Parts: sequence; structure tokens; C-alpha cells
Amino acid sequence: MALENIKVMIADDSMFARKKLINFISTLGVAEVIEAADGEEAVEKYKASKPNVVFMDIVMPKKTGIEAVKEIVAFDPSAKVIMASSVGTQNHLRDAIMAGASDFIQKPISNDQIQKILENTAKEVK
Amino acid sequence: MFAQFFGSFLLHKGLVTAQDLTVAFEEKKNTRMRLGVLAINAGLMTSEQVEHVNVTQQSVDKRFGDLCVELGYLTDNDVERLLSEQPTDYLLLGQTLVNSGVMSNADFEAAIKEYKEENSLSNDDISGNQSDKLSKLISGFYHFDTAANARIYTEYTTLLFKDIIRFIGDDFTPLGSSIIHELEAPHIVKQAITGAYNSITCVAADTAEYMAFAERFAKEEFTEVDDFVDATVGEFMNVNNGLFTVNESNEHGIELQLDPQEIHNHDKIVFENPAFLIPVSFSFGEVNFVISNG
Repeated sequence: MALENIKVMIADDSMFARKKLINFISTLGVAEVIEAADGEEAVEKYKASKPNVVFMDIVMPKKTGIEAVKEIVAFDPSAKVIMASSVGTQNHLRDAIMAGASDFIQKPISNDQIQKILENTAKEVK
Repeated sequence: MFAQFFGSFLLHKGLVTAQDLTVAFEEKKNTRMRLGVLAINAGLMTSEQVEHVNVTQQSVDKRFGDLCVELGYLTDNDVERLLSEQPTDYLLLGQTLVNSGVMSNADFEAAIKEYKEENSLSNDDISGNQSDKLSKLISGFYHFDTAANARIYTEYTTLLFKDIIRFIGDDFTPLGSSIIHELEAPHIVKQAITGAYNSITCVAADTAEYMAFAERFAKEEFTEVDDFVDATVGEFMNVNNGLFTVNESNEHGIELQLDPQEIHNHDKIVFENPAFLIPVSFSFGEVNFVISNG
């Protein structure tokens, strides 16, 4: 599948982090970018839209990113959720992977990292 | 980062003004190191000898280095070695201040000697930006050794300055800290670090400085403080504090979490434990950082 066919979700309570990611991802010409400002919204919007890849913060109100990823993976075991957090400690990394996250990236995130993840996602999706 | 603390030292000694430093930090990007300043810094020449060569150079068509060798101040090897070394940031700042006439070569010679002695720094320490020396410099500058958790304060502040240079810019001067029990400002972003120990961290500033700080981090312009500006300053804090928790986990096995940031506009925060107020003078104005550990 080409980049223009994939749907991306960004779940982060920081308006700044969401905008920066959206601004960059929009330049790559993906099909759709879905925003969620907390863990609860992330789960709801995932179920409604089934994006191809999710960038998920950990520290968020209502429901943490770890709780959200567990619910998303329970709903869709093939979900691709990348944890994107400023708190990249070994414990958080382990919790994220055990919850079902595919990968973990430490903030600040570079545009190159995002582009590689999206290109790989596009290759994986048939 | 030695340049910023050297600037603070010059300011404290009354050798330069805050305005001089602001201009110098801007101009140092275009400054080229001169052999005279490199030789003074290396202790190979005195400021009088450099002045002598400068005066002599006005009447003969010879390069500065060749004249130094001819006059017996330097060897060919000295000249070659000095010119091959990468200029360090604090030397560029010194050279810029000398070029603009704010300081003479003699002022620079005396200042750099005193600065190195006061902080037990060698040329190798400064040029290598060695972390342990940097931590020692910061701990001494802020008198963190008087605090119960000196290591935490020192490492947090060292990282904070690295992140300021990385994300905001290097055109700042650290000002002396003070102990506070409450903080009142037009704009405050607060974030708690919890877990093996608890800390409160804040960024606080007046409106214009708050916006300017956010503009630097976001790399875009703002016309008023809105939710996005708050989120921008909040994200700086989140990234810095996140890196701090990673360092604590990796280097000391200490596990910490971050609470979501809180925005306090025109508000007062009261600290349970004494807090260090760390003011930083940027070219756009002053921004305060706070850390309280307990």
C-alpha cells in the first residue's frame, strides 16, 4: 500500500506535540490523520476508524497510553501502536511492549523517525 | 556551555553589561578566532606581548603569527598547534567582546585566568566540555552543595542547560539563584516528578518572554499567549523532564514518573519544600526555572 492510502492516529494530550506531528505527516500525503487528546478518546477513535498506525503518548489524562494500548490491542490484535513518550525509561519501555505496543520512541521525535515508521507501515499493509 | 557561565562571570565582575553579552552572543556566530586570544588563553603570551605584536604589525606587512615567532613570543610549533585547535565557545565569546571594544586583551587575560582558577578548570576541561567539570561548575555556581539533594539539583540543572542550548539557543546568561518558598508570575508551567522521590519543576516568565521562549521552541511566531503557547512551553518542560527521568533510571536505577503539566496564569504556587529559583537572561529577556526536591 502507498503512503497516500494509510490512516494515522496521533494520541497526545499536548496540543503542541499533536500539531507538530500533524504538520509533518500532512506533508507526506497520507490518507487521513486522526487526533486524540487523551487515552479514552484514542480507544474510541481507534475502534471507529481503525487507523493503520498509532503514535501514542504515555502520560495522558483520563486513560494513560499504556491502558489505551491494552484496550486497542484487545480489540484488534494486529494494531500497530508506537509509543512516543518523553519518559523512555526501561520500565516504561517494558510496560509498553507488554501492553502490546509495537515500538517505543523517545521524544523529541525526529521527522526522519516518523517518515521511516510510516513508510514501513505502508509496506506492511496489503 | 562554559561560554554561558563565563559570560555570567564577566557580568558578575562588572566587566560587561547584560546588553554587551546579548550583542556578543549574537555576533559570535560570525567571529573568527585570532591567534592573540588563543595564545593568551593557552598561557603562551601575555596581553602586553599581544598588544606589542598588534602595534608592530601596523608598521610591517607581516602576519601576526610570523611576527610572534620573529619576536620570540611563540615557536612555529606553537602557532601551528594554536591555529589547528577548534575554537571553543567561551573563547569566541571573549574574542567577540575584545573585537567590539567591550574588553581589552588585558581584561580578557585577567578574567580568563581568574575564571579558571576560581573554578579549578584547565584548558582541556573547557575545550572538552567534560561533564564532571560542568557539573562541578554548575554545583558551585548555584551553591547546590548546601542542599540535601545536591546531586539531583546539579544533574537536573546541567541537563536543563543542555536542553536550553539544544532547543532554545545558546544566547543566554545564567544569573545567580535564590531559595524561594512561593512563586508568582504572569505565566507558570508546572510539572511534578514523582516516584522514588518527588520534585516540583516550573518555568515562569512575563508575557513577552514567555511567548519568545515558546517561539524559539516551536520555531514559529506567536502574537498572543493562547493554549498552544502554553502547550509549547509545557512540551519543552515535558521533554526536559522526560530526559531527566531516563538519565535517573539508566545511571542511578531510580524510577520516576511525570505528572501532566499544569498551566498557572497569573497565579501563585506555594512549595512544600524550599525551591531553587534559577533565572536565565536570554537575549529576549528573563525566564525563570524552578526545581524543588523533597
